[in-house]
Amino acid sequence: MSRPAVRRPQLALAELHQLKWLLGAALTLLAVGTVLYMEVDAWVLMGLTAAATLATAVRPDLPSRVPRLVHWLAFPAMVAFFAGDLWLKTEILPAMVRLAVMLLLYRNITYRQRRDDLQVVVLGLFLVVVAGVLTVSLTFAAHLLVYTGCALALLLVITLTDAATGGKKLPPVPPGELPDWAQDADWRRLAERVRAVTDWRVLGFGAVLFAGVVGVSALLFLAIPRFQLENSMFLDRLITKKARSGFSDTIKFGDVTEIQQDTSVALSVDVSDQSQIPASPYWRMLVLDHYENGTFRLSLGLVGQEFGPVRTHALVHGDVKPQLGAATVWTFFLESGVSRYLPLLGRFELLRFREVQNFRLAPNLGLLALREEPAAMTAYRVEGFEVSGVLPDPGFAQRWRERTEANPRRGTLQIRLPLEAAEQARLAQVAREIAGPARLPAAEFAQRIEEWLRRNHAYTLSPSIPAGPGDPLVRWLTSREAGHCELFAGSFVLLARAAGYPARVVTGFRGGSWNGYSNNFTIRNSDAHAWAEIFDEAAGAWLRADPLGTSAAAQAAEPRGEQALVSRMDRSWKARLDSLRVFWYRRIVSFDTASQAETLKAVKEATQNTGKRLREEFEAAVAKLKAWLAQPWDGRRFFRLAAAAAMAAALVWAWREFGRGWLAGWSRNRGAQGHPVRREAGVWLRRLAETADPADPRVREAVAELQRLRYGAPATWPEPSGVFRRAKVAAKVGRREAPAPVG
Amino acid sequence: MSDFVQPAQMNESKQALDRLRNNMRRTIRGKDNVVDEVLICLVAGGHLLIEDLPGVGKTTLAYSLARSMDCAFSRIQFTSDLLPSDVTGVAIYDETIKEFVFKKGPVFANVVLADEINRATPKTQSALLEVMDRARVTIDGEAHAVGTPFMVFATQNPVDYEGTFPLPESQMDRFLMRLRMGYPEPADEMEILRSTRGGYDAIALNPVLTRSEVLGLQALVPQVFVEDSVLDFVLRIVGATRTEAEFRAGVSVRGGLALRTAAQARALVLGRDFVLPDDVTELVAPVLAHRLALARQTSDALEERRAVTAALKRIVGSLPAPK
Repeated sequence: MSRPAVRRPQLALAELHQLKWLLGAALTLLAVGTVLYMEVDAWVLMGLTAAATLATAVRPDLPSRVPRLVHWLAFPAMVAFFAGDLWLKTEILPAMVRLAVMLLLYRNITYRQRRDDLQVVVLGLFLVVVAGVLTVSLTFAAHLLVYTGCALALLLVITLTDAATGGKKLPPVPPGELPDWAQDADWRRLAERVRAVTDWRVLGFGAVLFAGVVGVSALLFLAIPRFQLENSMFLDRLITKKARSGFSDTIKFGDVTEIQQDTSVALSVDVSDQSQIPASPYWRMLVLDHYENGTFRLSLGLVGQEFGPVRTHALVHGDVKPQLGAATVWTFFLESGVSRYLPLLGRFELLRFREVQNFRLAPNLGLLALREEPAAMTAYRVEGFEVSGVLPDPGFAQRWRERTEANPRRGTLQIRLPLEAAEQARLAQVAREIAGPARLPAAEFAQRIEEWLRRNHAYTLSPSIPAGPGDPLVRWLTSREAGHCELFAGSFVLLARAAGYPARVVTGFRGGSWNGYSNNFTIRNSDAHAWAEIFDEAAGAWLRADPLGTSAAAQAAEPRGEQALVSRMDRSWKARLDSLRVFWYRRIVSFDTASQAETLKAVKEATQNTGKRLREEFEAAVAKLKAWLAQPWDGRRFFRLAAAAAMAAALVWAWREFGRGWLAGWSRNRGAQGHPVRREAGVWLRRLAETADPADPRVREAVAELQRLRYGAPATWPEPSGVFRRAKVAAKVGRREAPAPVG
Repeated sequence: MSDFVQPAQMNESKQALDRLRNNMRRTIRGKDNVVDEVLICLVAGGHLLIEDLPGVGKTTLAYSLARSMDCAFSRIQFTSDLLPSDVTGVAIYDETIKEFVFKKGPVFANVVLADEINRATPKTQSALLEVMDRARVTIDGEAHAVGTPFMVFATQNPVDYEGTFPLPESQMDRFLMRLRMGYPEPADEMEILRSTRGGYDAIALNPVLTRSEVLGLQALVPQVFVEDSVLDFVLRIVGATRTEAEFRAGVSVRGGLALRTAAQARALVLGRDFVLPDDVTELVAPVLAHRLALARQTSDALEERRAVTAALKRIVGSLPAPK
């Protein structure tokens, strides 16, 4: 049915109150949800607040049943709680977070006044901002957007309520009493009413306003200098969620596999030169040298020997000598909760953090460890990677050479095999069977062991280790059970050490997918991998040996660069989501003010270029027109011009003849909006009723015609444009004299 | 049938209605709006209930209408001992042809004046109201059509309650409109005092409209165009009476239809072939007020009438008219 100019109904005061109540509850839930990001002991409070908020949102009559005692005791109790919290835990920020959650809880079990609604907005904002500063995650950005929308809506409803009450302040609802609006709240009816009341114009206006707020924020965000709040303020003690699974200094068999179940993103990597991307990148994080009863770990000895002192700096210089020309820049975005050991492709020239960090570097191991596991996403930029499966280790090479002469205990850290003699002998026997009695070069030996392992064991994520006495890994090694990467890598190390080759387990990630939307590497937790490294005395370097992958030698033959990316291309919807995350990281992360200035400059240039291009195009069009006019005029040109004019006239005529009918049919089918002619006639009728003198015969005539257009049968309509023209004239001549001022 | 009134028909109807109106104004002085409302009721094909004190011209109104048309007029004075057969007629055994012969009652006319309808017993009232609804009388299984056009003018005195049987609401619904006459303006009353002589039998009016012309006018009413937003307006008014707490029950579907038809008739009477929102708002009280009863008890009928009218006025004022 067509309902052209029916004024929309408006929400009653009670409905506004109901809406306000719901929006306040939504804001509370959003704000309380941010506690999930933070490592604050507020779980009980959070759960309680969320439950209470949900309950009172569903049943707004519940707050009236809250005992009077609660209202009397609420504020003293909160102050006491906060004071006690501070006294006992001496942490300001967590205490404040808990206090905010508690206040939100109280605000949701009492009927709020305007002041209290605003308090909910501010409290929520506090929580959202604290969580956002701490996590710097994309989820936070989304959270903040939703929160902003809800807060704007709440403010609008508050304004509407004020307008409906004529600006009068409503008296507070006494404890234990039920306000009218809460008595018969029916959310489904409210939803229908809101839908009926909502106008697309209002919605559009709201959307524009919201977009404006977001846009201005984005501009400010680009313009303000970056600084790390968590390092500059006291916030660093309040850290976000701990590792979900994470890499640690120890690895029990099964750890890496556990991580493999988790398909969330662990690391995103931007590469400045895609041709430098290796075929199968191995993102090294940690070296595990010490074996004991089925567990590999990083021994304290190796830490003491290889890791430098804790340094506090934003720049880390590596061993690779600077080369001519621009080095490839790799930008890493490491998610929180992965590890404090940073994934690296190998030795590097220069590593740059966004801000000063506490770290320890082990150049010979090719490892870099932060002092603490980062709470938020950590970004670092590496220049001049030496991407290869060969890691030179002059220190170890020297120790290995000198091992027999001076001190037999030197250099044994990565060769020790703490197994019973019988098992050692058995392993040595196996190694001899595989590699033969002669001592082979490390690369060849590694290749044979890898092949043997692959022949004897299949790959599975749920391995079974045969029962029996002795070392579990030896039991698996000598069986024919299927296993996962850690078992393969561990077996390799045991066999190599038994045969007298230094070897160690390396953990990190292998491979990753190439996000086709944002053009970056995405490495998921499920890409976690363990492999081995064997020492090559001839080269004085560690060679990568992956029993489950291609050997270092074979890798050289694999395609590099963009060709390698084709097979890794990921264009799934998940990749699309991840690309958003990377976009967010690229925007918020800036390694120095120069890159920020670059961004601003780019924005400015883009704007200027657009303006320039528009001007140029306009000038070109003018020049073209001039040239066209200057051409000699002959009959054919006149004819063509006339034909074009006739065509345009025919189009106009056809529109007037048929187009309106078509439009009428279309708008009839379209429903609620009404016929444009009727709408226009209604507008004119209102205008004449307001300004024109009804006694004037011309006005009367115009009104009669307009009424026919507005309410009459379309078949009896006079020509609408003529009617509107006459109405315009009538409005002018029939204008009522302004009433003389009285007084 | 086309869905709008042809210009030629429009002209004809305008002339016919002007003749009728002018004719009636010669006897009903200073009550132009009442005359118009009677005409609306006539062309809409509805029945009329006039409530007012005795002696303000109710009968004269009915009489002048009937006289202005080429129509049969009859008048029934309702009393407490009036029987249904006194209204509808009765079958009498005719000795000569040895059969029952139907002897037509006073309802077999075109304009029937049912004076003081609330004085008759409910049974007799029902007999009349059945005729009003179906436009025919069924006696002994035989249907007898009453005249066409057929219009009942019922009058009642709302103040005088002694020995009356107020019409139940279901039967009030059968009347299209309820009007009040009211006293004439002093100038008009002066004119009445000066010129009127004798009773209404002395009213000398020439018929200016034939029966077929009246039927033609009635046939035009459904063709008067009602735009969707106006229909929606009607619907919203009817809906608002149903949710209004002051009323015992809202307006029925028949009430909504009556409002639409009356609005179409008003458009026609005022010389338009389409309905304006004004047509609806002007007719809300006459068409809907008698169909509504207050939820609370009132001391007398007049107060109830006033309260209902005020509530209706408030409803219409609160609803935005189509723009």
